[in-house]
Amino acid sequence: MSLQVSKHGDVVIVEVDGQLIVSNRQELKQRVLDEAEAGVRKVLIDFAKAGYIDSSGLGVLVSLAKRLRELGGDLRLANLNDDLQTLFELTKLDSLFQIADTRERALESF
Amino acid sequence: MSDVARILHAFTEAYGCGAVLWVRGATAVEVAATSGGDVTRPDGEIYRDDEAVRSRETALGRQLIARIPGRTPAWVGLGPVADDDAEPRRWLRVLVPVLSQVIQSQWEATRAADELAERYEEINLLYSLSEILGRTVTLEDATRTILLEVAETVGAEYGALFVHDESSGLLRPVTTLLVASAPLPLPIPTDDPLSVTARVFRTRHALLVNAGVLESDFEAPFRQGAMLTVPIVWTTPHGGIPLGVVCLSGRRSGASFTAGDEKLVAAVGSQIATAIQNARLVRATVDQERLASEMRLAHDLQLRLLPDARIVGPDATCAARVEAADGVGGDFYHLFRLGGGRTGVLIGDVSSHGYRAALIMALVMSAAAIHAQTTADPAETMQALLATVEEELRETEMFLSLCYVVIHPAAGTVRWTNTGHPHAFVISAEGETTRLAATDPPLGLGPEGLHGDSRPWSVGDVLVMFTDGVSDARDARGDALGEPRILDVLRARRHEAPSRIVDGVFALVEGHMGRMRPHDDQAIVVLRTD
Repeated sequence: MSLQVSKHGDVVIVEVDGQLIVSNRQELKQRVLDEAEAGVRKVLIDFAKAGYIDSSGLGVLVSLAKRLRELGGDLRLANLNDDLQTLFELTKLDSLFQIADTRERALESF
Repeated sequence: MSDVARILHAFTEAYGCGAVLWVRGATAVEVAATSGGDVTRPDGEIYRDDEAVRSRETALGRQLIARIPGRTPAWVGLGPVADDDAEPRRWLRVLVPVLSQVIQSQWEATRAADELAERYEEINLLYSLSEILGRTVTLEDATRTILLEVAETVGAEYGALFVHDESSGLLRPVTTLLVASAPLPLPIPTDDPLSVTARVFRTRHALLVNAGVLESDFEAPFRQGAMLTVPIVWTTPHGGIPLGVVCLSGRRSGASFTAGDEKLVAAVGSQIATAIQNARLVRATVDQERLASEMRLAHDLQLRLLPDARIVGPDATCAARVEAADGVGGDFYHLFRLGGGRTGVLIGDVSSHGYRAALIMALVMSAAAIHAQTTADPAETMQALLATVEEELRETEMFLSLCYVVIHPAAGTVRWTNTGHPHAFVISAEGETTRLAATDPPLGLGPEGLHGDSRPWSVGDVLVMFTDGVSDARDARGDALGEPRILDVLRARRHEAPSRIVDGVFALVEGHMGRMRPHDDQAIVVLRTD
């Protein structure tokens, strides 16, 4: 997995390339926490290039969303493929996140 | 009788004149052999290092004394002789070279014997090190033997062997030969500016320091006088890695260490490093075996926590199977007979595996057994369960996907609360598949307040729940098995006994994975009530 980080206004966009799994979840977590430490409050994670998220990866997303909400910000998700969209629905995790089908719509939603 | 004594006696027999040989020993000039004449130790100018023949008056008469050239300081005395000593002087000109030759030969023979003894000690040292390398020994045993053997070889009474502890940046003494009543040496920081041991570790160069030079408190417990300090360096294809330092002091002979000693200890430094690495590897292997054994034990214990599927009889027929990916895992199931013909089935997946997940699993299983019997509704049971494990989940940053189903055949209903568990189904006798959808996000992630749902339950229905380790099982190309193929097997086998349905699913999983190992725990429960 690799992470591409960019900025759009006051939103930090983290693009996940590859699988978000137990062995690399900490990398994503630390990257977003570093941004939060630097004052960022709005984070969008773009999964356009991600094919799979395991249960520990889901845990990191929830943990980051909680942290940003505690700081008065939010974490939003975009571009989940069909399998990931189904996974979020089946596990009811779609109730915990705002999920957009494109990056642009996600940015507009902030 | 020595060769020299035989020569002196032969001389006296031939010429009728006594002869005495003095040799300078370690502390004084002593008589080495005599065939007659005054043996009193000569003194004064007699010891001058020249070839002059001198005479002295003794109680037994006049005696001529000449120095014998060679590496060993020696003198021969002939007497008593007359005042006209021309004849004895001629004898001396013959006798002195002969004695010189013999003494030189004896010196060389002694030297050769010493050399041989020294080599023998070195060979013995290398033999001991080879023995350590070939044996299974602890680090402490290996270093103790090494220090004793090296000290013995160079004649040192005191010493210490330090091994570098990377995590703390300290050189830790692992074995010592201490000065009497000295305290145990303290670990030495590798950057200590005064310690010879630290300096040698940093520079990786041996250091021979004389008495009174560079003395520090760190080395006081094992230093007396001069100290020879040599680095222990492990040689790898990518360069040397310093592992520690060996210090030797208090030479028994009183003499200082020689360049030869330094060379010898430096030469065996890499052997010592190999012995240390060997001992470390042995320790690591033993630790790993112990851990593997504990994991096997934990795995057995975990499996014992899972109930026998027959406990739900006669109200229901059930089969279940759990395969842990890491010895101990986070997938589990539980079964309850709830009275009135009702059966409770719980399947769970902790968001991790290994020890911590297994502990959460054990906690959930024991709590679920209590709450299932004291609550009436699945949502109520799960809410009580959440209250029990909430703090544990928060502290460990884990979460639980759980699906708890209560089947009541007499009422024709199935009720459930599903916290983020994706794969729970009822398959009807006609092959219709209905997902028992998640009512809430996984435990530990969602907001407070859990929900429940229900649907009809008919004779011939089969309840099937499995964890994502089953549907995510990967083949050699990394492709997941996927839920649809599992559902095909379930539909095809829906009329068979639950145990055969479970076997069918695992046959599919194993066929898909081939020689690949599961990357996640796998659990499945199948239950019917007819």
